[in-house]
Amino acid sequence: MNPEKLKILRRHNIRKKINLLLLTLFIFAIAILYFSPILYMFLTSFKTEHQAVSPSLIFKPTLNTLKMVLSDANMFRYLKNSLFQVFFTTLACLVLAVPASFALVFGKFKKRNTGEKIYVWFITTILLPPVAVIIPLYTWYQKFNLIKSPMGLLIAYIGFHVPIVVWMLHSFFKDVPKSIIEASEIDGCSRFRQLVSIAIPLVRTGIISSGLLVAIFVWNEFFLGFNLTGNSTATLPVYMSRFREQQGMFVAQLSASSTVAILPAVILGWITQKSLVKGLTLGAVKG
Amino acid sequence: MKKEKDWLFLLPAILVVAVMTQVPFILTIIYSTLSWNLSRPDLPIEFIGFENYLYYLRIPEFPIIPEFYSIFWQTIVLTVSTLGICAVAGFLFSILLDHQVPGINIARTLIMGPFFVMSTASGVIWKTTIFNTTFGWYGVISKSLGFTPVDLLSYHPMAVIIFLFSWQWIPFFVLIILAGLQGISGDVVDSMKVDGANWFESTFLIKLPMISQHVMVAIMLGLIFIVKEIGLILVTTAGGPGTRSYNLPYAVYMEIFNGSQVGRAGALATMTVAITLISVNVLYRIIKKRSASFE
Repeated sequence: MNPEKLKILRRHNIRKKINLLLLTLFIFAIAILYFSPILYMFLTSFKTEHQAVSPSLIFKPTLNTLKMVLSDANMFRYLKNSLFQVFFTTLACLVLAVPASFALVFGKFKKRNTGEKIYVWFITTILLPPVAVIIPLYTWYQKFNLIKSPMGLLIAYIGFHVPIVVWMLHSFFKDVPKSIIEASEIDGCSRFRQLVSIAIPLVRTGIISSGLLVAIFVWNEFFLGFNLTGNSTATLPVYMSRFREQQGMFVAQLSASSTVAILPAVILGWITQKSLVKGLTLGAVKG
Repeated sequence: MKKEKDWLFLLPAILVVAVMTQVPFILTIIYSTLSWNLSRPDLPIEFIGFENYLYYLRIPEFPIIPEFYSIFWQTIVLTVSTLGICAVAGFLFSILLDHQVPGINIARTLIMGPFFVMSTASGVIWKTTIFNTTFGWYGVISKSLGFTPVDLLSYHPMAVIIFLFSWQWIPFFVLIILAGLQGISGDVVDSMKVDGANWFESTFLIKLPMISQHVMVAIMLGLIFIVKEIGLILVTTAGGPGTRSYNLPYAVYMEIFNGSQVGRAGALATMTVAITLISVNVLYRIIKKRSASFE
């Protein structure tokens, strides 16, 4: 190769590298700008109330505001209520939906398309907006004093999130080869054994990702939580909505509370985004 | 194998879902035909047919259009513009994030962040740390540039809400569309290069049609979730000024919790559900048709 050509090639390479650098900077500028409200909130939670009045980025960080928010009895109650709802909704949804979606894929019913029909029914309940149910639920809950018990909201959450798990798991179970299940049936394996020892280990990823999706949804859910709870049972999103009246006051305290409220879901979301994509797109694109 | 046993796997799930979603929905429809005021227990609960629906739909003095229509229109504007912005921005962001640059996973993770933030928190954060005219970034920056900051929340409530909805939902679109882009096989990308397709052609004429299915799915799922949303409206504008940033679910909420009118709220809720289901159904049919034409 003559030196002239080498020179051109090298220059070409340098230009390629500069382009890559510019593209990287551009992508990161956009990403950081997009994320900046959350980042700024996170930083402000390390400010004192006095420092938070001016939106400066250079300040001496302190843990006092965060400590104050976390030791607040109110905040602790909401946090506890949220954790209760997330844990038991996720658990109950999986206990109900895993066998159900397994039966929808592998069960045998009198009519062949029964499984398909029930699956479609589950999907249509996902489409139902919560306003459709809130009026009777609200009147029942008031009447039977369910707003004072965490069980009230829990039942509503379970009812609304089981269909989502069924929808996601359905596509995962469909990927389990039918021949394995049929072979085990010939060997005299009961349905329960098929589910526990064959199917569940094979769709483990699906179970985990749909469980985490439900956990994130419940943690962030506002509409039902707001309408079906009283003071003692309200969850964190309801707590956050109470800050709406305070115009610009207590910015540091507000930021610290927001940080506590959103961090678990954001971190959980980041950890699971890959499996969420898989679950959502498989469930949706395959239909 | 006993066939009855398979039902046992299904029944608990069906029962819980039916009791918590189907039964209340049927009751809502029944309530919508009643005259029922929660704050007036002395008045009887009576069957009044479609009177509650007519209460919203009737146009008594023609040029003056009742509030229901403007709220209905706002709901459409809110949903359609949010979904439109999300689809366009989501596609462009995905194209950008599809590049293999160093640290791309960190950039993707940052963009994904807002989707996992609870809507009430994101509303409160934007309202106090950014839109506030004295303490927020918007106020501080416009003052330093010599402008007088206006209270965006009361002057442009719809634009603010659409903006915030989009900020929260673009990541979800990116999540799905990016998965679609990454599913395009390397062969297609290589042959595009060999054929000398430029950036514009390869992005909009080749990649976009290939992932249109993903875009449609994102729009459909986005519609289902965005129609539910009232938390963000409540904390930012509280529907105001007046009813200018109400959407239908928010109107239902106000009707029952402030007006105590169970019957009217029921009628409003039933209409909201009907409109939602019809639009989702139309979108679903479009998706089915498209996927059929690809096969």
